[in-house]
Amino acid sequence: MLKSLDPRVTRLNLPEGALPPAEPKPVLDQFETYETFHQKKEGAAYTYVGPVHAPNEEVAFLFSKEQYSRRAACSGMWVARTSHIMVTPYVGDDENVYDVIRLEEPTERSEQPEPYEIFHLKKRGKAHTHAGRVVATSYQEALQEAKRQFGDKGPIVNVWVVKSKHVLQSAEEDKDMWLTVPEKKYREATAYKVMDKITKYKEEQKSTAP
Amino acid sequence: MNEQAIKDLLYKLADDQLILGHRNSEWTGFGPILEEDIAFSSMAQDKIGHSLAFYTLLQEFGEADPDTVAFTRNANQFHSSQLVELPNGEYDFSLIRHFLYDNAEFIRFEMLAQSSYEPIAKVATKLKGEVKYHVLHANTWIKNLGSSTEEAILRLQSSLNEALPYALGMFEKSKYEQELIDTGVYAGEEAVKAEWLKRIQAVIEKTELKLPDLESTAPKYGGRYGDHTEHLQPLLDEMAEVFKIDPTAEW
Amino acid sequence: MYGGGNVFEATKFDTLQNEDPAKLAEFEARIARGEKIEPTDWMPELYRKQLIRMIEQHAHSEIIGALPEGTWITRAPGFRRKMAQMAKVQDEVGHAQLLYSAAETLGKSREQMLTDLINGKSKYSNVFNYPAFTWADSNIISWLIDAGAIVNQLANAKGSYGPYCRALDRICAEEAFHLKYGHDAVVHMATGSPKQREMIQAALNRWWTPIMHFFGPPDKMSTHTEILMRWKVKMASNDDMRQQFLDMYVPKIWELGLTVPDPNLKKNPETGKWDYTEPDWEEFKRVINGDGPCNAERLAVRRTAEERGAWVRRALLHPKAKYVKPLA
Repeated sequence: MLKSLDPRVTRLNLPEGALPPAEPKPVLDQFETYETFHQKKEGAAYTYVGPVHAPNEEVAFLFSKEQYSRRAACSGMWVARTSHIMVTPYVGDDENVYDVIRLEEPTERSEQPEPYEIFHLKKRGKAHTHAGRVVATSYQEALQEAKRQFGDKGPIVNVWVVKSKHVLQSAEEDKDMWLTVPEKKYREATAYKVMDKITKYKEEQKSTAP
Repeated sequence: MNEQAIKDLLYKLADDQLILGHRNSEWTGFGPILEEDIAFSSMAQDKIGHSLAFYTLLQEFGEADPDTVAFTRNANQFHSSQLVELPNGEYDFSLIRHFLYDNAEFIRFEMLAQSSYEPIAKVATKLKGEVKYHVLHANTWIKNLGSSTEEAILRLQSSLNEALPYALGMFEKSKYEQELIDTGVYAGEEAVKAEWLKRIQAVIEKTELKLPDLESTAPKYGGRYGDHTEHLQPLLDEMAEVFKIDPTAEW
Repeated sequence: MYGGGNVFEATKFDTLQNEDPAKLAEFEARIARGEKIEPTDWMPELYRKQLIRMIEQHAHSEIIGALPEGTWITRAPGFRRKMAQMAKVQDEVGHAQLLYSAAETLGKSREQMLTDLINGKSKYSNVFNYPAFTWADSNIISWLIDAGAIVNQLANAKGSYGPYCRALDRICAEEAFHLKYGHDAVVHMATGSPKQREMIQAALNRWWTPIMHFFGPPDKMSTHTEILMRWKVKMASNDDMRQQFLDMYVPKIWELGLTVPDPNLKKNPETGKWDYTEPDWEEFKRVINGDGPCNAERLAVRRTAEERGAWVRRALLHPKAKYVKPLA
């Protein structure tokens, strides 16, 4: 068995020496992706933070909580499957995508109007933020409605549209999960102050110097 | 209020969290999915943070500082249950242990939040949100994997069978059990165990797993008073390896 | 934790000649204006290929980079260090997750990247093929390797690809903790007991060559790197980054009374640059091509994690799930 410098690795009981060639595995031995949005503090707009790979929504939520809210204050989190999000084309930083796209006829309509969440990207390289919610019977109609309600506020480079029912939103009673995050000072740069030690060391060196 | 009784309670809470925190931390870099490595590490940090909070309360009773208490005692001085010291095994065993342990831990925290001994009540109230999330994490995984493929169900079932006697060992009674109950400090192990059974059964029922017959399962007691498996002492030596190079040094 | 260097293979330059000149001009104009490229934009194949390669190597460096410091997770001394060491190594795994996601937006699946890593097809930063013999080695990594990585990552965060920039912004914010934590630990050792001091000096001696290797071999400017710099894929030359690192950190090492194992290391008052002995670049090549002290173990651990975790992924894989690359 492999004896490693790392006792954790030693406990994995790996064979010593080269491993036999890896077994070929079926393609896509991986999960779908989900996109995560977080709310920094009460009342702030939900902002895109990044994707996770997960087998379903509830596991995606657990993963997002770990990956995107362990290091900074958070008061809420939304998770949506990537394939449920409709994306417009991207335009340049000084343009407004609503002026550029041609709104197509919907291919599918729901019988009843339902809520959609609208996210805007204000500048390339930045993150999409929640612009608001609209009620519509199709993605296209939602986009049209979004243009009417929020479409005139400066450059908008790109829009994401997703049905509200496809967004898993953290509930009020989930908030205590984040209660102690700001107290974990050992994960913050500000917890480490060593100037005193350095200064003291330098002075000692001076005083003992011949 | 009997100081010895409260110290006894604090030691078992702290030692459990310290040891399981270390076991969980071993997953960093080795997990089945990147996101899951991160999850186990967060829970490890939380648990070690909880042990620190309880060792700090112990210090107020005149015990040594948390570092000394945590990293210089031998296995026979540890009050942790045997469940937490067992090696991680593969992910199925770690997950089952996490499920069995954290469901009990959350009940303890809920009860301690009502404790008549205010310092414990305060700590438990503040930290119980973290344990609640650990339970959510465990239950979500058990529900998902416990009703998936035959391979996964077999693995989890065999880990459940293996871990259960040790899990029942968590409920070993304190020497001061009745006193803690009578003074309203802690509702006692019987109460925790009864509630624990209800909660784990509710999750297991949603899966294809079977809880082994409890009547014929002998609990692995002893851990609360220094009787441990062969796995604890080597782990303690490892945890203290650097610290012991010079215990008086600032690291 | 990634220092860059030696990541760009010599791709056939003439692939560019197959690109649509109008689209290429528009693409280059966008970058010249300082706008970022987003995943659905048109981009030259060379750009896509080199970015995947770079971000993928960066991601591998994070996941493998978690192992040397991981060596000391269970042994970190005292509560304060234990919790920080756990959080620090956890961050590295988190960074890998962010970076794999950024690379995925360019069309290579995370699964494929991990497979290429395990099979030795993709590279990662050579420093992680060296062992962390003592706790002090782990401290040197936390401070100086992370410091080197920050120099590189801050430069790359100004690059042209949106998803990579977003990931790097997040990563750089987290690295601020790593750097301070590493410095704090090294200062405690250097100003501590004679034994601690001896440990930290020995570790610094062991890590100096890998640190100098970290930024990659000296630059040989070619048309190839020139175009990657114009496209804001490569943001700073290896030598520039190495100089910047020496400028920022050698004084901080010296003020602790520690010595650097290179008698020629000094700042040249005439050029304003650091003179140093070139590290052994043959060793660098050997290690990066698989023959370092820990290459085999690092890959075996990664592969074991994948193989032993496969049942979990198999159990939950939805038969109808269709992989869609992440949006941004």
